[in-house]
Amino acid sequence: MNKPFIVSASIADPLLAVPETGKAILDAAEATGLDLLVVGRAGARPFDAQVVLAWAAPMSARIGLVATVPASNAHPFHVARALSAVDFLSAGRTGWSVIPEGAEQGMAEDMVGAARALWDGWGSDTLIIDKASGRYLDASKVKASNYEGPFFKVAGPVNAMRPQVGQPVLVVDAAAAIAIEDADIALVDDAGEATGATKRLLKVDASADMAAIAARFEAGEIDGVHFTLSDAMAELPAIATLCADLREAHPAGPGNLRESLGLPLPATASNQPDGARVPEIA
Amino acid sequence: MTKQIHLWAFLQGIGFYPTAWKHERARPAGVFSMDYYASVAKLVEKGCFDAIVFGDQLQSRGAGGRTPERMAMPTLDPVTLLTAMGAVTRHVGLVATISTTFNTPEMLAERFATMERMTGGRAGWNIVTSVHPDTAGNFGLDEMPPKGERYTNAADVVAKACELWAQMDRAGPALPQGRPVLVQAGQSPQGRDFAARTAEAIFCPAATIEAGVEFRNDLRSRIAAVGRNPDGTRVMPGLSCVLGGTEDEARANHKAIMDLADPALAIEYLSESLCCDMTGFDPEAPLDHEHVIANTLLPAADVARAVTPAGEAGTPLREFAMNFMLNPRGHNVFIGTPEQMADMMITWRDEGACDGFTLQPSYMPGGLEDFVEGVIPILQQRGRYRTEYPGSTLRETLGLSPRVEDAA
Repeated sequence: MNKPFIVSASIADPLLAVPETGKAILDAAEATGLDLLVVGRAGARPFDAQVVLAWAAPMSARIGLVATVPASNAHPFHVARALSAVDFLSAGRTGWSVIPEGAEQGMAEDMVGAARALWDGWGSDTLIIDKASGRYLDASKVKASNYEGPFFKVAGPVNAMRPQVGQPVLVVDAAAAIAIEDADIALVDDAGEATGATKRLLKVDASADMAAIAARFEAGEIDGVHFTLSDAMAELPAIATLCADLREAHPAGPGNLRESLGLPLPATASNQPDGARVPEIA
Repeated sequence: MTKQIHLWAFLQGIGFYPTAWKHERARPAGVFSMDYYASVAKLVEKGCFDAIVFGDQLQSRGAGGRTPERMAMPTLDPVTLLTAMGAVTRHVGLVATISTTFNTPEMLAERFATMERMTGGRAGWNIVTSVHPDTAGNFGLDEMPPKGERYTNAADVVAKACELWAQMDRAGPALPQGRPVLVQAGQSPQGRDFAARTAEAIFCPAATIEAGVEFRNDLRSRIAAVGRNPDGTRVMPGLSCVLGGTEDEARANHKAIMDLADPALAIEYLSESLCCDMTGFDPEAPLDHEHVIANTLLPAADVARAVTPAGEAGTPLREFAMNFMLNPRGHNVFIGTPEQMADMMITWRDEGACDGFTLQPSYMPGGLEDFVEGVIPILQQRGRYRTEYPGSTLRETLGLSPRVEDAA
């Protein structure tokens, strides 16, 4: 069983959304070996993170791209389509982090439920793309989810293919006012915190005691660490040094973001077994 | 100075023809990979096109609730695609379609501002109000708001978005163009009126040179009537093509594309176009036009015009559907040699039928390759088309004022 030591960081620097400086930051994040780059954070959204991810997809090769999505300024139909596209363009490296920011209570959870229902409207093996028979897809695998929540009522099907990761990796900040029982990753302030997530990353800074962190990881209390960057170009090299030993001992695996981090689709979150497959055409 | 031709590349999905994905030079699985979009974007930039444009829908295909099996779909989200293509190019403009009916000004202003910054000032907004009845249910509505209401709201949303962009520009980082270029594609009197007040470029169908002249003259007079300069708006009708070394070869190439159509695909495509599922009908029986008119989701009068003559004549469904595939969208389709195509384009430009064209390749990427390699060098040799970009922003490429100083 793959159990990598996961290293994550969030960035909310407006310079990420300017190509010259953004490229330098992205390259540094990739060179650091970050598994997850969370773009934007609660209280600091100087850009549309979904658009930054679109730009970052061809500019990066390995890093997981996580878009912060504000429940108050987005709609699940648009989000489902945008993140599906990012996922294909990045060959399965997409995540998202819904933040309640300014939204009524329950709206962030509803956003998660609605978008997941839309992604699940397309089966993992919908695409056929066979020129000889003329069959492009298997229509029996496409369903209108008819999702109805307290804030969002979305019929579907969405005009976007199910992502290769099935559903983008869902990252939640345990400190945020959002209750998701089946997230993929929770960012926690305290290793003992109860979460409904598959894995937990401890929020730390550059002064972290890595020996203590290693002990907690070995004991199965945490699955990795999360840094909140304020000066990315200065902080990233230090993070690389800090985490080098643990990463070398517990590397991420091959494959898409879910496979490499050992994150199966939560059974509670999806009615489909896995991500979309695109048949290769000779 | 001879009149220069502007060119846009409309790259929706896998090409102009519904059969296009089955062509031997088509890469239908490519629409799910970055490599494909990167190579296409670089080819468009090599061809010095003003911009890449994507249309958009806010519903999946599925007439009568049945998803078609034989058509290339779904496509990916246009803003995402264009931003990613912008990351691997330096000059080509990027025009994304976004609906004013199903986005708040805050949502779309934030999206476009980020795209505008990340692409160094190459963003354009094709403003639509959405029309398909299936869209409503994806946004919690039982039915679409009426057209008049949609256009009134569109004007408000555009005004509010421009205010937001002015604020964002002042707050920094700067928006290189001040705001995205405003593009419109409405055909109805309401659409034309909206375009006259708002648009800096217009995408439209014009099947003949006469239709092009009529449309462009009408738009220019409407623009002047609201006190704007008609020379500040580019009219860019759609144009598809099938090329060959000789006329006969071009016709054979066109026939080969048509021969890829099987009746089942044609009937699925017809069902989608008329918003009425006809896949359960006997293809050899006469077209049941009354059923179509009674069950379509589109305005019944429009559909009746399309189906009644054939229905009354007893035309079999299969035959009607196959004919419908020939040119269903009302665009100019050119079949001939690259020289003939260049002649035609220059004539349209000189006669005032357009400022340029929105090229819709017959299949992808082959149809685009043929045009870039065959037609563009001829237009350049004749001094009618640029050989390099004049600047870095879409406004500069279109020959508009370099920057909107006060977007609001």
